Amino acid sequence: MTSAVETTKLTKFYGKSRGVRDVDLLVETGQVFGFLGPNGSGKSTTIRVLLDLIRPTSGSARVLGLDAHRDRLEIDRRISYVPGELSLYPELTGSQLLTYLANLKGGVDSAYRDSLIERLELDPSKRTKSLSRGNKQKVGLVAAFMSRPELLILDEPTAGLDPFVQLEFEHLCEEARADGRTVFISSHQLPEVEHLCDRVGIIREGRLLAVETISSLKERALRRLEVEFGSDVSVETFGGLPGVIDMRMDDRVLKCTVQGSLDGLIKTAARFEVRNLRTVETSLEEIFMAYYGSGDAIPGAAKTGADDAGKEAGHAAA
Amino acid sequence: MLLRNVFTKTVRDLRWPTFWVSLGMGGMTGYFALLFPTYAKIVDLNAILEKMGPAAKLMGASLGDASTLIGFLHIELFSMILPALMVTYAAGMASGFTAGEESRGTIDVLLSYPISRRRLVLQKTAAVVLGSMVAAVAVWIFAAAGASASASDLPWDKLAAALAMLVLLGLAFGAIALAVSAATGNRGAAIGFAVGLMVVMYLVDALASIVDSLAVVRPLSLFRYYMGGDPLRNGISIPDAGVLAAVAVAFLALALVLFERRDLAA
Repeated sequence: MTSAVETTKLTKFYGKSRGVRDVDLLVETGQVFGFLGPNGSGKSTTIRVLLDLIRPTSGSARVLGLDAHRDRLEIDRRISYVPGELSLYPELTGSQLLTYLANLKGGVDSAYRDSLIERLELDPSKRTKSLSRGNKQKVGLVAAFMSRPELLILDEPTAGLDPFVQLEFEHLCEEARADGRTVFISSHQLPEVEHLCDRVGIIREGRLLAVETISSLKERALRRLEVEFGSDVSVETFGGLPGVIDMRMDDRVLKCTVQGSLDGLIKTAARFEVRNLRTVETSLEEIFMAYYGSGDAIPGAAKTGADDAGKEAGHAAA
Repeated sequence: MLLRNVFTKTVRDLRWPTFWVSLGMGGMTGYFALLFPTYAKIVDLNAILEKMGPAAKLMGASLGDASTLIGFLHIELFSMILPALMVTYAAGMASGFTAGEESRGTIDVLLSYPISRRRLVLQKTAAVVLGSMVAAVAVWIFAAAGASASASDLPWDKLAAALAMLVLLGLAFGAIALAVSAATGNRGAAIGFAVGLMVVMYLVDALASIVDSLAVVRPLSLFRYYMGGDPLRNGISIPDAGVLAAVAVAFLALALVLFERRDLAA
């Protein structure tokens, strides 16, 4: 079975700070893949190489087993793409735009298109220039899904969507997966895509740090915890617990960061009166922290990950 | 339906600019054709041009005979105003073909559909070729209508020949603008370069008609080929038309190559 996306040593330089370096990314077909990283980390650069909008400095990119540059038209017949900053022709209505894009695609199932419009509650009669960001995004999503592509490449698709549309979007992704199609979603916010994705790749400063399942990612994640006690408890009580880092007691409130299981900490805290327990949602940034902080080799990062671990430090500094 | 493909969509995009440039150029031409007999009775334009001497030549009136309608149109319109409008139209539209889609951010989506960069440029170019021809036909119709209303004699074939040269001139500058925009993604630079070049070339051609030492550089000006053979009197000059067409095709080819190779703006 061919892969949906495969890059080999993909490198793209753009001046000093932007770009990607030696990205080896493999996305298998039939899954929802999350491509995570903070803004400016190289997500869009990678995607734009996959679409042949920009050409790699070195390395190669294949989409659905085809060469991203040479086999462009064949790829374009089988994929859909929604850019992060979606721009539409302002003078066209949603329905005119969808007609145009359907014609460029060589025709789509209009009944299916209409059902998508209905599901996302899009008003197609409005000119796109008068649409809000969220509504523009709906037009983009209808356009992307209406051709039932083998691969959907969605750059930050959830930004600006209201919760209802977000949910419908998730259903659409799940339907695509159930059909054996592939969805490639980039995001800078893990919580928005974590329940949707089978696997995620994490990119930062142009380098792919890891490709993992969501569950193993969360196991490695750092959680910030605040435990409020009913009496004075010595901070030393919690010393030496596995996974607990960065701990301090602040007027009967224990503030700490834990990697992995909370079991040891909770059982120790349960010996005292606990008035309140607050946990702060794990952000992507903290997952990155986990990778940087632990100093481990990055599991499953890349096909060549282990060999390159030493070099990476050098590149990052460069 | 005009949303069938990139060509028809571009025709749709160009419909209002094309309408206005057609109306403007046609309206002026028709107006002059209509008023010519009245004007000629009151003013002896040839005598004025005589008095102006070289200055008249600078204004592009070197070839016209103001006692005929066709000569009058040459002096008043074909020497300066119509080429300025046609070039601005063609260069203005062509400069937006790739750079406009890029700066608006629509090119990313457009190129994720099965259309190559080359076909994108060619289909859009076909639309501006059509638009320029529509404008030229409009000028011809208005001129013929004005001339027939004022019972003036107007050789329609010579007028058509001059309009064909006008279209070719516009397309040559349009292709130059297209090449600049394809190379840089900057619409303002493209239109500015093409229109600036037009002004320089116009001045070179006009000055060369009075300053002998400039004769050597005159062939560098596209205006030399546009009116140099006096199509309003002699009909179309195949070599001159060939030069303009060759320049247009060469810059179109350059635009295709440059656009194909370039990283597109995000």
